[in-house]
Amino acid sequence: MKLGYYPGCSLEGISAEYDESIRALFAHLEITMEDLPDWICCGTLAAPSLSRLLGLATPLWNVAQAEKAGYDKLIAPCSACLYHFKHATQTVTENPSLRADVEAVLELPLDSPPPTIHPLELLSDNSFEMRIRASVKRDLSDLKAVCYYGCHISRPAKLMQFDDPENPQSMDRLLNWIGIQTLDWPRKVDCCGAHFSMIKPDIVVDMCQRLFESALEAGAEAIIVGCPMCHANLDTRQNAIAAKLGHALNMPVLYFSQVLGYAFGLPGEKLGFKRHIVDPLPLLKCLKLEVTSD
Amino acid sequence: MAFRDEIQALSGQNVNLCFQCSKCSSGCPLADKMDLKPAQVMHSIRLGRADSVLNSQAIWLCVDCETCTSRCPQDVEPAAAMAAVRVLALQKGIKPSVKVIDIYYRGFVDNMRLNGKIHDASVAGITQLLTGQLIPDLPLAMKLLVRGRVKPPPLPLGGGRFRKIYRNALAKEKESRA
Ligand code: SF4
Ligand code: SF4
Repeated sequence: MKLGYYPGCSLEGISAEYDESIRALFAHLEITMEDLPDWICCGTLAAPSLSRLLGLATPLWNVAQAEKAGYDKLIAPCSACLYHFKHATQTVTENPSLRADVEAVLELPLDSPPPTIHPLELLSDNSFEMRIRASVKRDLSDLKAVCYYGCHISRPAKLMQFDDPENPQSMDRLLNWIGIQTLDWPRKVDCCGAHFSMIKPDIVVDMCQRLFESALEAGAEAIIVGCPMCHANLDTRQNAIAAKLGHALNMPVLYFSQVLGYAFGLPGEKLGFKRHIVDPLPLLKCLKLEVTSD
Repeated sequence: MAFRDEIQALSGQNVNLCFQCSKCSSGCPLADKMDLKPAQVMHSIRLGRADSVLNSQAIWLCVDCETCTSRCPQDVEPAAAMAAVRVLALQKGIKPSVKVIDIYYRGFVDNMRLNGKIHDASVAGITQLLTGQLIPDLPLAMKLLVRGRVKPPPLPLGGGRFRKIYRNALAKEKESRA
């Protein structure tokens, strides 16, 4: 299977540690993927707000590049990019005249666009279970954590066609394989406020406060995520939230790719831990962490 | 074309299927900040109340989290209807009633025109500067900078691909509306 990789803009900026840890993890598991050539931003909500056709053509430029490169699947670690790719692909697949318009705009064909998937969809497949269990070098079973999926990993279900939109399990399953008994909590698919962090930070603080309260109630010491926006909002807004809560927060927010990589014995530098506002290493270091021999 | 039909043409959503259960409003994480709740937006579209919907804050406060769409028992997609109203509002030259969001979306696309990709720190910085929110976030920006999460802005190369798509898409839309 030929896999393409679309990092997206955040992973080249504020979420560099997600990119680093995904690449390190995939290399460690010997999963080969190729960077999508000539990619552009997915357009998020901005391009479709200006023009419907622009909103479709922008993500589909990337999908058309993936088709041209002959990928079987395109991996998008940002769940917003993922959603826009899938949404645009489905819209033009269902509407041939829109597809013709988009092809004319792009000056490229969209004959059989490959599906875009989240890295969780690839890794949480049962075919990886043995390999993942066998790769564990550090025992993280003491980590008390909740998995936070946010919006688009599985929602809307009809479009995403992956996991359960109200109670997704793929990330929990993956972490169970490396020995972490993830905690159950009711807010795993609530929205973090996404890009509103840049325009209406007070709204994001409110939305993330609810998430932290719920995670604390479940007994979590860390939140594990699979989206750069979820991570940015939860990692960077803790001071304001702590002020509202009236107590310190300091809860590490980790990408699933960092946790897996760490369990597999990869060094912290390769996983970008030093980039976090809330340093996760003190927590990870208090776990028993015996490194098993090869 | 009647307002309701325009929304249907743009979104593929038949608002007549909505039976006003308000499940969309109940689950919407922004409903408490919206002037019209998602179910009210649906009902107003159905009644043809174009002005109140096109000028609402609700359509701009929607973050497109898709909770409403995911839970609607009638398989209607309120998020798609919201998106269609935003497109229609701009087509009609109606200024978004939430100014900061307008500034952000436009700045975002302008930044894409430079590099094809966005430089997240510039988009955030410019938006916050224009909306008077830069100062409170400066300490955070510094922390991100020392942690290597603020990259220097790239040279304005590679924007040609997107600029062509932008030009073509707007021209094509104009042609089909003419
Ligand atoms: S959930 Fe669906 S049927 Fe219920 S009010 Fe919202 S749009 Fe209408
Ligand atoms: S998509 Fe928009 S309207 Fe629907 S629940 Fe999310 S924020 Fe509310």
